[in-house]
Amino acid sequence: MKEVVLRLRYRYWPDHLLGEILSKRWTETAIPVIVLLLVAFAFSEAIPGFLSPNSLADTARQAAEIGFVVLGMALVIVVGGIDLSVGSMFALTDFCALFCLDVLNLPVPAVAVITIVFGALLGAVNGFLIGYLRLRAFITTLITLIIYRSAYDLLLFDYSNTIAAAFPDDAVWDFMGGGGVFGVPSVALLYAMVAIFGHVFMTRLRPGWHITAIGGSRRSAYNSGVAVRRTIARCYAASGALTAVGALFFAARLSTVGGDVGVGLEVTVLTAAVLGGISLGGGRGSVARALVGTLIVLLITNGLTTLSVRGGVNRMVLAGILLVAATIDIRWLKNRTRIIAKVYVSPTFHHMPALLGPRVGQGSRFEQNDKLKDVSLIGLGRIEAPEDVILDRHDNLYAGSRHGDIIRFFPPDYEKMEVYAHIGGQPLGMAFDRDDNLYVCIGGMGLYRITPDRRVEKATDETNRSLYSVNDDSRLRLADDLDIADDGRIFFSEATVRYEMHEWPVDGLEARGNGRIICYDPATKTTRTVLRGLKFPNGICVSRNGQSILFAETWGCCIKRYWFEGPKKGRVEMLIDNLPGFPDNINLSSDGNYWLAMVGMRSPALDLAWRMPGFRRRMAKRVPLDEWLFPNINTGCVLRFNEAGDILETYWDQAGVNHPMITSMREHKGYLYLGGIMNNRIGRLKLGKADPDFVQYETRWRKSA
Amino acid sequence: MTHSITTRWVGRLVALSALVCALAAPAFAQKGLDEPFQGPFKKALAGKTVGYVPVAMNFDLTEGWFAVLKRELEPYGMKVVVRDANWSTNAGAQAITTLISEKPAVIVVHNPDVQTYAKLIQRAEKEGIFIIQINMGSAFRSTAFVGANWIEIGERDTQAVVDFCKGKSNKIAVVQGALSAAASAYTLKGVENVLAKNPDVKVVSSQAADWDAAKAKAITQTVLKQNPDLCGIVGFWDGMDIGTAAAVKEAGLTGKVFVATSGGGEQKGACDLVKSGAFDLDLSYDVPTQGADMAALVKWLVSSDMKPGTVKGSVYTTLIPVTKANAGIDGTCWKLERLKQ
Repeated sequence: MKEVVLRLRYRYWPDHLLGEILSKRWTETAIPVIVLLLVAFAFSEAIPGFLSPNSLADTARQAAEIGFVVLGMALVIVVGGIDLSVGSMFALTDFCALFCLDVLNLPVPAVAVITIVFGALLGAVNGFLIGYLRLRAFITTLITLIIYRSAYDLLLFDYSNTIAAAFPDDAVWDFMGGGGVFGVPSVALLYAMVAIFGHVFMTRLRPGWHITAIGGSRRSAYNSGVAVRRTIARCYAASGALTAVGALFFAARLSTVGGDVGVGLEVTVLTAAVLGGISLGGGRGSVARALVGTLIVLLITNGLTTLSVRGGVNRMVLAGILLVAATIDIRWLKNRTRIIAKVYVSPTFHHMPALLGPRVGQGSRFEQNDKLKDVSLIGLGRIEAPEDVILDRHDNLYAGSRHGDIIRFFPPDYEKMEVYAHIGGQPLGMAFDRDDNLYVCIGGMGLYRITPDRRVEKATDETNRSLYSVNDDSRLRLADDLDIADDGRIFFSEATVRYEMHEWPVDGLEARGNGRIICYDPATKTTRTVLRGLKFPNGICVSRNGQSILFAETWGCCIKRYWFEGPKKGRVEMLIDNLPGFPDNINLSSDGNYWLAMVGMRSPALDLAWRMPGFRRRMAKRVPLDEWLFPNINTGCVLRFNEAGDILETYWDQAGVNHPMITSMREHKGYLYLGGIMNNRIGRLKLGKADPDFVQYETRWRKSA
Repeated sequence: MTHSITTRWVGRLVALSALVCALAAPAFAQKGLDEPFQGPFKKALAGKTVGYVPVAMNFDLTEGWFAVLKRELEPYGMKVVVRDANWSTNAGAQAITTLISEKPAVIVVHNPDVQTYAKLIQRAEKEGIFIIQINMGSAFRSTAFVGANWIEIGERDTQAVVDFCKGKSNKIAVVQGALSAAASAYTLKGVENVLAKNPDVKVVSSQAADWDAAKAKAITQTVLKQNPDLCGIVGFWDGMDIGTAAAVKEAGLTGKVFVATSGGGEQKGACDLVKSGAFDLDLSYDVPTQGADMAALVKWLVSSDMKPGTVKGSVYTTLIPVTKANAGIDGTCWKLERLKQ
């Protein structure tokens, strides 16, 4: 009863989503958005009409002006700097605009251009000092803050009363300052346009990527050939130009050159940027975050003013928020991976029937023997991690290696070897198609093809994204094994969509069913997921009838059959359940049956732990990774089974020297070739009653041709 | 307080009338006359809001005005709400914008400069909100202005300095406020008016301290170092000129340099400082009077049938020169704590 509740709870409660959501980049934007909504809700409750269209339009006008400055600041912070001089630049460019308009009587378009260019120049001074001369951003902009402010004060003394006395009467100027389209303020419209461009720029264009890269790691960016100095300098210039745009609209709205213009603006802007989630450490930020931060700060300051809160308190609240946001930013960045690692692993309930052990004397079908005693070894110490082995019709032996190569051994003695092809990722399952193309599943990369003339081509590395998955599961994380149907369609397994290849034991600890089987059709070059929710699907073999595939679920300890053609099309049937170990690759045998490799054996401890998800979660949270419960892969075997799922014969290496764990085997001309992902050798075993002419290619392709 | 007084008076009245009735009941059958105007007045005021946007709170002028407005208007059921711009023109503009959409009956605006709020004030009056500008006016003339005549202040302060300087070095300094603020720009005009008549007087420094005492002190320190024979300083606001006076005192020139300034006439800000010799002349535009003027205007405007923008008028404050002669007399200055009670 208790187990039923446990099973239902773990089946229907999506524990795994928390970790997946937290590991999304957008959660860092989502949190400020939630804060924004809370702030907006709180003030609209406290102040009637706070969110009325009129009030929103007023806020939008002001928000867009400051928003431009925040965009500039965000850009500079993302590139790894800071710009404290924005307040002074704001004042100077505001002065520039009004000076051009009221004293020089220039037309408005000229005023706009001059002001923005002037802002860019002011920013370029920072950019030159910080980008090219490599001065510290904080000190440099602090100094320009003072210099620009002094310049403003001096200019003010001569011109403030002239400007104050002028009342420019210009339709364009008035539109900028107070006009709008359908109630949306002019400045907000321009801001929206700039923001959309900024988003595209930062996420889709090369310079935007360069900026993020420099902020993430200046040295790496430099080593990758990014023009670091120039890019940084340009960011500061852009910050100046964006500040100028904000100041231009400010000038049009208020026509003021008061002494307080831009004073303390840098704190407001910095608060907005950090609050929006633009990390002070650089390299992380987006336009959306800049916007959200701006809105939060403005809603809070305007809301507090409207609530008749005194100015000092208002500043204090703002400073407090900056402090909290900066703290969260730093703590989050520092602990992000650790927090995610803690909550990401979410074990679920997994019940296995009673274990029928392979121990000698128990009379089980899996009883241990020592038939693998007489293997001869190929490539001992010269090959590493041959997960799968395969032979072509010319008796050449192929195996993957951990270094990202496909190694070819030459007959008859398989002493001579060469790198057949270099792919880069770890090769796992392999299969030849009718045209002698070698298809290989590459962990972390996808499905690749090596043509007979040794060209490496990508077949596919993505499939359709599932609708309800939080993790983007369109990319292939761990393509594992494959086989090719008669019509050329390739069925391959992806062991897990939640973990990387080296984390496969963690997936076993979770026992959730994170794997899937995917079909790639070379004719149409399309990839579709055909089965989901499998517990580490591993070996795949097209059955002899050509209408179904047999596949192994490693953590499910079973072999299933999936019909992709024929009357039972689309159905999945259990073929062998409750195996005593963890099944891996499946291949054809010469007597019309199938070979199966067992990578490891079940143990009562893990079986029990699988029924106790809470225990496993505690373990994952409290115990370091290397002390976790680990599936036993110290011993395994090869076995043969028939179409009905009966076990016919088992092969063990009792000494455990040559082939304790076996991930794959291939029969070829009376021999069985053995591979193991943790091994440094390939085994070759002479089979007693095997067809000495059996070649997989002939069996597979001549028959149906 | 008011309540208890009222009840006490009501009590006495009832007792008195009872006594009167008992003594001469048949003889006094005559009834009181209902005053027909107080009812509509009360109705017009009740529930209305007055918005108050000072350049900043937390100093004598703005706190004083606020206290008087509350004291005068709240008993009639009016609400006085403050929107603190806290020395930020932008925040002030935003506050007025927000206030306009809230449609109070009156907004009292304290302009940081002559221009920024001009358009907003125009818009507010168009939307039916009376704007009373206090002390620092904008270039746009609204229904009412209450405040000092800055040109007069500039002239009288400068005249006092010039008179003191007669026979001395004739070197004077001017410490301005925020350049484009009414209180600074117009006062400067007054200074210029007097200087035009006294060509022998030389202005050695005229700088803006942005209403900031620390800045004023720094400026004055420099000026005194360069001109130890300075004979007078025209400051534009006593709140800022505390710094000016401190610099003079530090230089050991108290009494030798005539410091003339102006302000709200608060006890600590004006009289005490004149008594101590920090200021030689402080022209006071008595804040309680200004507050009462504003309150009277609010009552009058709200109870009238007038539309905003139909009349425009000014209430210039009569200045009280605070000097050694009257600084010690009780009543020359006012006390903020007492106003707030």
